[in-house]
Amino acid sequence: MTQEVTVNIDGAFIRAPKGSTVLDAALGAGICIPHLCRVPYLEDIGACRLCIVEHIENGRSKITTSCTLLVQEGMRILSNTDRIRKLRRNIAELLVTEAPNSRAIQDIALRCGVVETRYPFRNSDCVLCGRCVRACTGHFGEKAIGFVGRGKDRRVESPFNLYSELCNECGRCIDLCPMTIVPCDGNMKPGEGRLCGNCESKMLTEEAAQGYCIGCYMGDGFQCERSITNTL
Amino acid sequence: MSKSRLKTIKDLAPLRNSLIKEREKLRATIVICGGTGCQASRSLAVIDEVKKQLAKHKLKKSVNVRTTGCHGFCEQGPVMVIEPDEIFYCHVSPDDAAEIVTKTIRDGEIIERLLYTDPVSGKTIKTESEIPFYLAQDRYLLAQNRQVNPCSIEDYIAIGGYSALAKTLFELPPESVVKEIVNSELRGRGGGGFPTGRKWAECREAPGDEKYVICNADEGDPGAYMDRCVLEGNPHLVLEGMMIGAWAVGARKGYVYVRNEYPLAVKHIQLAVEQARKLGILGENIFGSPFSFDVDIARGGGAFVCGESTALMASLEGKVGEPRPKDVHTVVDGLWHKPTTLNNVETWANVPSIIKNGSSWFASKGAKGSKGTKILALTGHIKNTGLVEVEMGKSINDVVFGIGGGATNGKAIKAVQTGGPSGGCLPVEKFDLPVDFDALADAGSMVGSGGMVVMDESTCMVDVAKYFLTFLQDESCGKCVPCRLGIDRMLEIVTEISEGRGTSDHIELLEDLGDTMSTTSLCGLGKTAANPVLSTLRYFRDEYETHINEKKCPAGVCQALITYIIDEEKCTCCGLCKRACPHNAIAGKKKQVHSIDVDLCQKCGICMSECKFDAIQIQ
Repeated sequence: MTQEVTVNIDGAFIRAPKGSTVLDAALGAGICIPHLCRVPYLEDIGACRLCIVEHIENGRSKITTSCTLLVQEGMRILSNTDRIRKLRRNIAELLVTEAPNSRAIQDIALRCGVVETRYPFRNSDCVLCGRCVRACTGHFGEKAIGFVGRGKDRRVESPFNLYSELCNECGRCIDLCPMTIVPCDGNMKPGEGRLCGNCESKMLTEEAAQGYCIGCYMGDGFQCERSITNTL
Repeated sequence: MSKSRLKTIKDLAPLRNSLIKEREKLRATIVICGGTGCQASRSLAVIDEVKKQLAKHKLKKSVNVRTTGCHGFCEQGPVMVIEPDEIFYCHVSPDDAAEIVTKTIRDGEIIERLLYTDPVSGKTIKTESEIPFYLAQDRYLLAQNRQVNPCSIEDYIAIGGYSALAKTLFELPPESVVKEIVNSELRGRGGGGFPTGRKWAECREAPGDEKYVICNADEGDPGAYMDRCVLEGNPHLVLEGMMIGAWAVGARKGYVYVRNEYPLAVKHIQLAVEQARKLGILGENIFGSPFSFDVDIARGGGAFVCGESTALMASLEGKVGEPRPKDVHTVVDGLWHKPTTLNNVETWANVPSIIKNGSSWFASKGAKGSKGTKILALTGHIKNTGLVEVEMGKSINDVVFGIGGGATNGKAIKAVQTGGPSGGCLPVEKFDLPVDFDALADAGSMVGSGGMVVMDESTCMVDVAKYFLTFLQDESCGKCVPCRLGIDRMLEIVTEISEGRGTSDHIELLEDLGDTMSTTSLCGLGKTAANPVLSTLRYFRDEYETHINEKKCPAGVCQALITYIIDEEKCTCCGLCKRACPHNAIAGKKKQVHSIDVDLCQKCGICMSECKFDAIQIQ
């Protein structure tokens, strides 16, 4: 039998198997911490930083990503404080202005409370969440694609940008990509300051969005792999 | 001289004594700096010529020529010191070699024109120790650079090298070594300022038999070269520090991660490792003790982010140099998931003297909370560019004006940028702050690795922020969102401001974004990337506001916000500017006041530098 520890997340005492992450423990208990780069069963790299939480240790609060933080007995976590909400909103704003035409990222942004954006839109094809790369290298060990370059030149490519013979065309990378989910048909054009609002219909209220599953578009496989029914 | 393996500890002292005796026989030693700074001013040619002249005058056997690492006074390079009288010559050229050998060495005369002239009193100064630049410093680490040839282990042993290691292996159990370092209150010199003793203690206590020590020599801050000079000038000191650390934490293997852009440092540390292996100082059963340790050199591929501990370890493991989350510290889960102690070059270099002289000796120097000395790289608009070593707690004023000699060209100093791209800019009003970890961090900057870029009034702070953001945009690994997109957006906004498209919301947005980046980024690079912007916003907010509200650059740097005009009264109609302008933007016939066509002008500034009458001005 696996050992279990008890952690306190947002006041709820949650039992989780030793070695699991705080994010897994929270999601399992119905506390939806927004996240993008995390894929179940793949290595967590802490790249998108959306799943940040406050870890209270010796009276001091430390902000870290819950997908890389392992559960420990007696640990105290706050996932939905004003500070966290503000930081998360800012990160989501960076993401959504980079790729305003991705429905998945729009949903995450709305879920994080982004209503108005302060940066001009760019139409990137990729937000470098690394889901595809880890699916290819981690799950199947194929390494047909990987990250190339650094900083602003970082991109996902096959070796030497040629079709890789290592690819067995499983299509998992496409399944996991937040960008291929049907693009929003709203008028998200560069230079516009507001999100289109088509996605807002899924929201109950902005208040309710903070902390509870609102059954966003990706609910079935992408965002929290829980359907709305077992949440509410 | 016996150069055979030192089988037991008893072999070390006789070797040292014989080396010292051999050196006492010499009539004089000519010390010439072969550091990178002096090499750039042709010190290698000087060395060749001096050797030739010595051979010519049959002084080769009685006079030793020692090529050393950096002495610190790079502004005066190539520098030469003649022992035992410590005569200091600066700006030595190969043509001077004959005169130096015949006059100073043979006849004992001093060559007045090669002496250093004190800019304050105007008098020449004969010996190195009397020079104000050195007098104002507290040189412990850098002073050794003059005493050793970095390619010679004998030189290092002759000045007492490896005695701290011998003391450690035979007198101090690992726990006592850790305790000494804890008591010395040594803090990491690489930037973070983490207490070294605590790091060692945690690594020692971490479970596992296989542990590693790493020396981080991937120094990449613009304008900083402390680690380079220590590694180039005294590699055995760093090795000895690492060996003491390895004994303390229980490691058998060490790595020096040095950037490939430092070819001399790579060469010297490789040579040092080979020499130490030959003498039995590295390898199995060092000095006949049960302790075995070896070091490998790894060369960095030129990524700034690889100076970050986890990225460095990933790079050592053969993976892409990207940081990983540090929820479990590297002292427990480091290189190949084994407990690892990683310290910076300067930190390791401090260790032998702490062991030799005791922790209380080290703790007696410096300020509260920041003990010991720190090497600082003084660069920028300053008279005495070079490396300086001061006790921590000395004020910035003392460093910039006292040691650095103030600004060049008589301009007023405006700010100093400390700590490289992760640090911040401090205005001249804050120059009474002490150089210590906590005081500078409270002021929104940091000691960092010790870079100090001094800026005078001709510097635009918005432009400075833009420069560092451009650097960081290239050097960020791009893994996490706040760092990659945050820097990108910050640069976008700062560029807008510098090109006259800034709005009043931009300052608030920069501060908000900066806060998000520094709290949520994955590694130290992202966490500190906003500092150049945040610190300039804190102390030079009015400059940003002038850029935004009045669309003007007060320092006349931001090209989009300046126009070149010709002062009609000063213009002598010489036509120099007209001929120099590559864009044909200047009109005017002979004996007719010239004028600049604003539409054609590309603001390159060539006309301004060509004009001999200061008639071209920036508006």
